[in-house]
Amino acid sequence: MTGDKPPFLGFGLGLRPQHYREILDGTPAIDWFEVISENYMVEGGQPLHMLDRICERYPVVMHGVSLSIASTAPLDMDYLAALKKVAARVEPKWISDHLCWTGVHGVNLHDLLPVPYTEEALNHVVDRVGQVQDFLGRRLTLENVSSYVTFGQSEMTEWEFVSEVARRADCWLLFDVNNIYVSAFNHGFSTDDFLHGVPRDRVVQFHVAGHSHEESHIIDTHDHPVCDEVWDFYREAVTHFGPVSTMIERDDNIPPLAEVVAELDHARSIAREVLGDRALGQGRLQAAE
Amino acid sequence: MKSLRELQESFQRGILAGDDAVLAEVKDSDKEKREVLFGVYRNAYVARLAEILAEDYEQVHAYLGDDRFARLATAYIAANPSDQRSARWFGRHFPAFVEQNETYAKRPEVAELAALEKALADAFDGPNAEPLRIEELAALPPEVWPWLVFQPHPTARRLTFATNAADIWCALKEETAPPKPKTLPEPQAVVVWRQDFMARFRLLSPEEAMMWGEAAKEVRFGVLCEMVATFAGEDGAELRAASYLKGWVDTGTLAGCRTEPPPARPDRSQLR
Repeated sequence: MTGDKPPFLGFGLGLRPQHYREILDGTPAIDWFEVISENYMVEGGQPLHMLDRICERYPVVMHGVSLSIASTAPLDMDYLAALKKVAARVEPKWISDHLCWTGVHGVNLHDLLPVPYTEEALNHVVDRVGQVQDFLGRRLTLENVSSYVTFGQSEMTEWEFVSEVARRADCWLLFDVNNIYVSAFNHGFSTDDFLHGVPRDRVVQFHVAGHSHEESHIIDTHDHPVCDEVWDFYREAVTHFGPVSTMIERDDNIPPLAEVVAELDHARSIAREVLGDRALGQGRLQAAE
Repeated sequence: MKSLRELQESFQRGILAGDDAVLAEVKDSDKEKREVLFGVYRNAYVARLAEILAEDYEQVHAYLGDDRFARLATAYIAANPSDQRSARWFGRHFPAFVEQNETYAKRPEVAELAALEKALADAFDGPNAEPLRIEELAALPPEVWPWLVFQPHPTARRLTFATNAADIWCALKEETAPPKPKTLPEPQAVVVWRQDFMARFRLLSPEEAMMWGEAAKEVRFGVLCEMVATFAGEDGAELRAASYLKGWVDTGTLAGCRTEPPPARPDRSQLR
């Protein structure tokens, strides 16, 4: 698979319908947007109209939730065709989805389900990423998910598994800072081990989000502001990886745009403290043109 | 060791059917038992789909209240595992499910309310088409009018309600107390479509509903006028038909029109 590493876009937000008007009527300090691919697999109306307006003004990346790359069910070619159609419209900087599975036997559980970290699963995922990349004609970006259980049969750590997928399948990684924090708490590993365990040259995007603490475990709900511990880990990630396109991900209990933009400013200020002017992304410059 | 396929099948049965066999494949954490940790997936599955249904069927939810809606949603989720990649389509069988549900057999307004919400959602992100403009019609010479056939907007759908579900929807939308459900003396035709970016619906009188139904079958305007005359009397029939047509154009319910050529006159030289 050919193609340079995608550019550093700066500081973006997940596009949510509640914010369409405020974004298009104003000039919020947002460098780029991530859109949920499945939300635009529709025939017409407001969703596609708004998508087109956003794409005219901002760099956009696509983020899917149902590729089900690790599923043992056959690849869903109708879904991939729909994904490719949205991509032709958006011309995204990259297309991401999750390193997980979402169902078998024609069922979609609408959840990001965990994978055992085995050689068998690794070979399976690498083979499927190759097929998807060939079909899309571009590299895929895969995100580590939050998980609540570990499998007895796992033969390696999550970061070893993620890294091997990226190397063998030649794909990019979306480093979800919050998901690593959540999974590290749930499974008792060190976030630093994960941070230093993945190849730096593969990471093209950060997700930063909030979660729900249930004392014995953390659930990745994306319905709260980002907590201090996740901000601390974000600072470490920026220090380690350098400038990486950063995004605040809020999926539920969605606050007014200004509140999410304030969180984005916080991410920007952390990156600025660590990186200086290197934290000013290309996306900001493109959006301003 | 289970293969990846077997493991995923077992995991899915654990979520969908409450089968605990999968617990042998996962571990306790330092802080929590595996039953609780796997329970996060079980709970999330039902909770997420119930939330999707509550968003898609907002007025049914408001009408039934939290508890009754939750019971109905749980029954739907159990009977309809999602087979779609996008959650947008998960609730598409909900109106039919409610209609066939024993509890709601005697409350047909609930299934009709659901059908209206589904039709509005389908219109909202249905196919695009430029609406037919009044200027386009006005520019046509009078002699072609009898030969005009119309194309409904691709989002337009006609529903027929036996109850006052449309009134109930309107009251709920305004966050006022809904009227008592009742069976109407005559079925009520409703047309649902998208104008600009807004999904809308209108109630049609029996005469307008008849004309809409025929127009959607590409019956030409001259014949539509005759049908209107037959339906409720010749007096002012053309005016009534023209006024329904104007209403459709003003509200963007039509996407176009074309002239159906009159049948060619037989060539008399060929006749014996």
